[in-house]
Amino acid sequence: MERKVTILLHSGDLDKALAAFIFANGYAALGVEVKMWFMIWGHNCLKKRRSLFSFRKQLDPAQEGAYRVLETDNILQPMVEMLNRGGAKHLPLSRLNLMGLGPLLFGRMLSKKGIPDLKELIQSANELGVKFIMCQICFDAFGLSVDDLIVPNVEVKGVTAYAKDTLEAQVNLFI
Amino acid sequence: MKVDKEINVVGRSCPIPLISLTKEVQGMQKGQVVRITGNDPIFESSVVDCCQERGHTILDTTREGRTISIVFAV
Repeated sequence: MERKVTILLHSGDLDKALAAFIFANGYAALGVEVKMWFMIWGHNCLKKRRSLFSFRKQLDPAQEGAYRVLETDNILQPMVEMLNRGGAKHLPLSRLNLMGLGPLLFGRMLSKKGIPDLKELIQSANELGVKFIMCQICFDAFGLSVDDLIVPNVEVKGVTAYAKDTLEAQVNLFI
Repeated sequence: MKVDKEINVVGRSCPIPLISLTKEVQGMQKGQVVRITGNDPIFESSVVDCCQERGHTILDTTREGRTISIVFAV
């Protein structure tokens, strides 16, 4: 029987995302098929970090993508985007965040011990063949696009696909 | 012993040894020999477990202080 694992990352906190990606890498290294699902705040660690404003009057095609263009039909999505910019290197800690100082100190602590940071773990998970799947509701609610993520080949699926995957898998984690 | 590939993960912590082991082994043929060197406290047990799961045979283990090298056949 083929071994399968699903990991659902719901939280956008750095410590929880680190744990999720370390599990994903560990399972993938043992040759297990891993599917990672991203919900609500979990999508923050796959989002490209973009600046809010651009001082250029016109979009330069060579530099396109310097700031995020949301495909949106309401005013709330850009406002949420301003407060929730995401990026794997800019996630907060769930404890001892210290207004943004916590993640910096935490990152320095990890790199001193040779522990990889979140971005490195995401890249290696991608190289080891972990499948990334995003929730359709999350995409709609935040006005995201698949091209705006740091990993290629992200699928967008719904709850029935998740139910099917979890019933097939031996281990299901919800973080 | 003839070694086809060397992997050096000295100073790197879990799960980097497993990740680099898996990445390096992916393109290799059965019977080729790999040596992996590291000094993480759980390095030996995690590599042994990983080899067991993936079906590699461990040929030799040497240790100098905290640094451990494990030779295995793919």
